[in-house]
Amino acid sequence: MFEKRLYYHIDWAMLAAILALCLMGVVQIYSATASSGQTLHVTQLYGIVLGLLAMTVCLAIDYRSLADKSLFLYIGIVGLLVFVLFFGVVRGGSRRWIDLGPLNLQPSEFAKATVALVLAKFLGDSRRGAIMRGDLLIAGAITAVPFLIIARQPDLGTAVTLLPVLFAVAFVAGMPMRIFGILALVAVLAAPLAWKFALQDYQKERVSTFLDPEADAKGAGYQQLQARITTGSGGPWGKGFQNGTQGQLRFLPVAHNDFIFSVLAEEHGFAGVMVALGLYLFVILRALESARLAKDRLGAYLVVGVLASFTFQVIYNITMSAGLAPVKGLTLPLMSYGGSSMIATLAGFGLILNVRMRRFTN
Amino acid sequence: MAVAEDRRRIGTRLIALQMGAIVMFAALGICFWVLQIVQHSKYEEMAENNHQRTLALRAPRGVMFDRNGKVLVDNRNSFTVSIVREHTKNLDRTVELLSSVAGLDPKQVKQIVDRHRGEPSYRPIVVIEDASLAQVAAITARRLDFELPDVVVEEVPTRKYPTDALAAHLFGYVAEASDTQVGDGVLQGDIIGQQGIEKAYNKLLMGEDGARRVVVNSMGREMRMIEEIPPTEGRRVQLTVDYDLQKAAEDGFRHAGFNGAALIMDPRNGEVLTYTSLPSYDPNDFAAGIDRATWASLNTDKLRPLQNRVLQGRYSPGSTFKIVVATAALEEGLVTPDHHITCNGGATFFGRYYKCHLKGGHGSVDMRHAIEKSCNVYFYTLGNMLGVDKIYKWAQKLGLAGKTGIDLPNEQESIVPNTEWKLKRTGERWYPGETISVAIGQGQVSVTPASLAVMISTVANGGTRVTPHVIKAIDEGGGWKTVPPPAVADHVAFKPETLSALRDGLWMVVNANGTGGRGRVEGRDVSGKTGTAQVISNEGRARAKGSGKDLRDHGWFVFFAPRDNPEIAGVIFGEHNEHGFLGAPIARHVIETYFAKKEGRPLPVLEPKNAPPAKPEEDPDSPPVLDAIEVADSRSGDTVTVAQN
Repeated sequence: MFEKRLYYHIDWAMLAAILALCLMGVVQIYSATASSGQTLHVTQLYGIVLGLLAMTVCLAIDYRSLADKSLFLYIGIVGLLVFVLFFGVVRGGSRRWIDLGPLNLQPSEFAKATVALVLAKFLGDSRRGAIMRGDLLIAGAITAVPFLIIARQPDLGTAVTLLPVLFAVAFVAGMPMRIFGILALVAVLAAPLAWKFALQDYQKERVSTFLDPEADAKGAGYQQLQARITTGSGGPWGKGFQNGTQGQLRFLPVAHNDFIFSVLAEEHGFAGVMVALGLYLFVILRALESARLAKDRLGAYLVVGVLASFTFQVIYNITMSAGLAPVKGLTLPLMSYGGSSMIATLAGFGLILNVRMRRFTN
Repeated sequence: MAVAEDRRRIGTRLIALQMGAIVMFAALGICFWVLQIVQHSKYEEMAENNHQRTLALRAPRGVMFDRNGKVLVDNRNSFTVSIVREHTKNLDRTVELLSSVAGLDPKQVKQIVDRHRGEPSYRPIVVIEDASLAQVAAITARRLDFELPDVVVEEVPTRKYPTDALAAHLFGYVAEASDTQVGDGVLQGDIIGQQGIEKAYNKLLMGEDGARRVVVNSMGREMRMIEEIPPTEGRRVQLTVDYDLQKAAEDGFRHAGFNGAALIMDPRNGEVLTYTSLPSYDPNDFAAGIDRATWASLNTDKLRPLQNRVLQGRYSPGSTFKIVVATAALEEGLVTPDHHITCNGGATFFGRYYKCHLKGGHGSVDMRHAIEKSCNVYFYTLGNMLGVDKIYKWAQKLGLAGKTGIDLPNEQESIVPNTEWKLKRTGERWYPGETISVAIGQGQVSVTPASLAVMISTVANGGTRVTPHVIKAIDEGGGWKTVPPPAVADHVAFKPETLSALRDGLWMVVNANGTGGRGRVEGRDVSGKTGTAQVISNEGRARAKGSGKDLRDHGWFVFFAPRDNPEIAGVIFGEHNEHGFLGAPIARHVIETYFAKKEGRPLPVLEPKNAPPAKPEEDPDSPPVLDAIEVADSRSGDTVTVAQN
């Protein structure tokens, strides 16, 4: 099943970049939490090991046979999401986790790769050259089901990461640009209505806070302002490992999680930021390269689908960490503390490596 | 071919995605560049403001010693409890919880917090000054439980007056600077002197607050210290006041049973030895912020304990003013000490009859006996010969008009009328008849006890008007340095016969048949003069009957000792004590204490009074005349004034 020659086609460079980012994450988690006696960095290391195992599994099975079974995976994950909705563990006001004893599983993290797989399979199988409106509606429906369930948890942040998957795959699959245009227009027109009817108060607050964080520096704008201070005070070279004040003294909350990049920026400065940004960009470009090299449309779509939610989350989280976007509970893939996210992300990269590795096989 | 076309399209779109990714990351890079390089200093400062706190360390105020080195004003440590709102999520909850823990009224705490709402949120708002140990313990326990992380307990030096209410008006008191006092080195929240020496020498006494820079976490909890600048204690100050004499004076008042004022000084240089104003208050009540009830009761007390009678009370000097008139007549060369005038119990001036206090008259008296007996007719006559402007001139030279220039705040001017003054004030010319009542210290003559003390000192030392002062030495950090006495305000060399006549007359008041016999101290040649300050005219007295106001007269006793080369001089003012001679025993006790101390003998102690009150005595100072019309009310010169001495 795992032929020896495939081993030579693994994208070692990308894998190295991924591991480097994971290790930077572990170091920052250590910096942010070890002084208070926690051992979250060890837990994170376990997460990485499990993630690498998941990656190996995703690598070992030919992505085409995985895609053939994608419908079952999809049904399985939707089932889990529904299960979570009723029996999940509540933390921080939303029901996202399945309690598995030593670790909690967050099915929504795995929904991203699954949706990517299903969409890739569906659109890749399409006999027509460019996708038609009918295909788009079905693809939309495939995305909408887990989207709505996750949004009900409620976890709008994670739910939204499914949308880039749909749009990116549709884009590469040749969706006409005018449909994008129409969708953009609808979004602009719907925004005021959504503001009025769809958004919860706390969500509105987040948006208005974003527009003027200092107006409410004590309340909702606090984290955003602190994120900006944390980043800005890092300067060119940073304050040094464990020498940050903003993260170490808890002016910025969840420094090991949502705001891990702010703390990196504080302790290692612009230089550290450049290294991390470079690594992320390298991984993304490298993965897109894999898509270009892919043997078939399915492979290309799969890579783009998996990469879309990853890229979206990376860019959003880093923007937020700089205090330039509304604070949203979105983690930074590969670096933030969190087992489910780590395993799901590495599994996703397993799929990407899989596509590249099997570009010559039949 | 379809497949190739398909591939090409995918390729193009993938390149578009790659380009998009590069653009996004470049944009992120630029954002970080702006934040971390361009705006770095701004955010660095904000981060420092976040986690660095500069706490003021209050400097202890300078310690005050008496002239012999006894500590009179000191400092103690007290605890203040403050709220730092900076990291407070729910201020109402904090106020609620703190109030219940410390046993306070939450409404009052809320009021305090509201009053300081406009200040920066990192500045502590003091909620409890001088907290009890029980309060401190209760609050500290809750703080450790993270229940009151925004409450700070600090130990601060606080003023302590070990002698309680002794010389309270001299020391004054301290309190937080009001908004109008901020500036010129005084910051908001500083404790500054509000009265007395505390106010006059505030700059010296205040010292310099230190600072402690610490790192705090987001909960406001102190993590570690960056640096500490210790506070500089205020300058140590040695006063001219003698504790034992001060105590003797206040004991004397207590023993005599009335309130009043005393200013006793060294007539040779103006060093104030005792400074008393009674009733008094306890400056300790102000040291850690006075509570409302105490403040209200001090302010509404009919006896006005906050009034500094020595410098702010103005009263008619009565017969003590005859010293001024005698000096003026002798120095102007109008009469010699042997000039005799016959007193038949009264005399007529400008068509009006002015009475003497002795119905049958004193007969023919010279200057010495006129002073001894306080003969009104003698001084009416001299006053009439002098005219008001000459009287004013000599009152000024002796230090009775205007301010004494003492180094204490809020001194009132003493008023001795003259023609110019009256014209300016009322637009009317001076009527010679008004001079007659001025000659015996009535009419519009209105002086502070302090100015009378200066007047008697000037007579005692032979014409040098010294400036009374309360600071003897200051320790600027390098040991005690004597403060040079303030410049002499005026100097006249009295003719020898003037001096001997005045001294003889005043000696006879105490040691012969005068009114000051109770001030006599064997072998000390105490010299002095009594006087009565009428509170209200006899007519007014009848009108005000039943109003509940204390209308009894005030009594004066001015004195110096010994007669030749005096070392101690001063004034005893007895509020509503009716008789000037009742102040003499207070002077005697102070003089006895002075000499006992000087000669190293045990200090005299006043025996408690057990004897039943003796029957009322004759007082030649009391107003013997029935009708009295205040000169101020008159529109003509022919006014009858109460003759009293």
